[in-house]
Amino acid sequence: MEYIITTEQLTKKYKNFVSVNNVSLHIRKGSIYGFLGPNGAGKSTTMKMLLGLTAPTKGSFAIDGRHFPEDRITILKGVGSFIESPSFYANLTGRENLDIIRRILGLPGDSVDDALELVGLEEFGGRLAKKYSLGMKQRLGLAGALLGRPPVLILDEPTNGLDPSGIHEIRNLVKSLPGLYDCTIMISSHMLSEIELMADDIGILNHGNLLFEGSLEELRHSAGQAGNSHKISEANLEDVFLGMVEQDNAARKQRARL
Amino acid sequence: MNALAVELRKEKRTGVIPLLPAVGILGAVYAFLNFLVRKDALLGLPLAPMDVLLTQLYGMIMVLNMFGIIVAACMIYNMEFKGNAVKKMYMLPMSVSGMYFCKFLILSAMFLSAVVLQNLSLMWIGMAELPQGAFEMGTLVKFAGYSFLTSMPVLSFMVLVSSRSANMWMPLGVGVAGFLSGMALANSGSGLLVVHPFVIMLKPAVAMSAEPDITVVTAAVIETLLFLGAGLWMAKNLRYE
Repeated sequence: MEYIITTEQLTKKYKNFVSVNNVSLHIRKGSIYGFLGPNGAGKSTTMKMLLGLTAPTKGSFAIDGRHFPEDRITILKGVGSFIESPSFYANLTGRENLDIIRRILGLPGDSVDDALELVGLEEFGGRLAKKYSLGMKQRLGLAGALLGRPPVLILDEPTNGLDPSGIHEIRNLVKSLPGLYDCTIMISSHMLSEIELMADDIGILNHGNLLFEGSLEELRHSAGQAGNSHKISEANLEDVFLGMVEQDNAARKQRARL
Repeated sequence: MNALAVELRKEKRTGVIPLLPAVGILGAVYAFLNFLVRKDALLGLPLAPMDVLLTQLYGMIMVLNMFGIIVAACMIYNMEFKGNAVKKMYMLPMSVSGMYFCKFLILSAMFLSAVVLQNLSLMWIGMAELPQGAFEMGTLVKFAGYSFLTSMPVLSFMVLVSSRSANMWMPLGVGVAGFLSGMALANSGSGLLVVHPFVIMLKPAVAMSAEPDITVVTAAVIETLLFLGAGLWMAKNLRYE
């Protein structure tokens, strides 16, 4: 199996708090990888490490066989990203913001219109980014990630702040991307139902630990084997996920008492 | 070159580009009006006419320049932090230290334009208002270079401080504190105080002679390079968390 992103015992410690603990991920080329976890599980930190925004305390990772920090520029040329909240120049219009990114990436001029069209922002391209609504800023951030159609997309909760129709639209867009062009998507969300509808593979993180990695079927299967009290056959991903997280939290509490 | 072009595009609507030339025009107008109003009193001072022209008008010009530099440095990084744009820059295939250097270059060039405008005004006053044969072009150019070099440590220091603070009030406060402490210490005889970038900038304003002080120039160049080096190192090695 060909993996485009792999992490090896990736760990991030902040003083006496472990945000990410020995996480080893395997993301298949051309797949949509759903990264699940409750708030504070370490999803964003993991993604930040993959983008060089923060340095791992321990462990390593490779994107398309390349490593940070020596291959930083080569890696970032092929990765479109959106982390936590949209990043933009408030003094520039949406189109000017994307033009800045386009120039840095060395892309042709029409790629800006392409990205605006992909996220449904073409008619608002001339408006100042500071005057955008939260949803429009979110779309602008996504357009920045999609600019030039990069082979790898790392999207951290991209539907935050969008209205239901916006969520539906972006979900369909993300789902359609591997069909539109050859790309791999790593997407995190705490909206489990959303990931269920998009992802080919899933990774579940809780308190920095990777509880599960595999396909949805494998998740149901492994939860069933572990004797999870939920009715696995009827359960949706949300039930299975909550069961796993609860079990892990209970085990942690027990360890803490001992 | 592409990085500089990108940086210039980012400055659109921020007011960073016209700010320092505007300070230059303000300084030039101030020098002209001041000399026009106080000509007799100034030329009556027991100083050479060129020393009067350059040192007696420089005090206010220097204060304008200092606040221009402080505000411009705050603004040039505030737009990076305002919409979290700097985070995106760290995620793009570009050199973040290159971006820092471009910002430093832009501010230096804009400040140079301010110094040129101010000195054009001084040149005009010197040629039109000083006694016949008293104006020396060489002295004016030397003093212009001196005032530019002695201002560079503040510019370099302020770019460094503003690049590390997401809150614009922080570098602004540091700038004001630097100005006040510089004012308090500028007349002190201690040579050690030249480590204070704001004291260096104030040195030509408190001197009675237009002759550049080599010790001050040397300290200015060293400090400018040190702050620039520190800023470049931080931009490269301290990651965005």
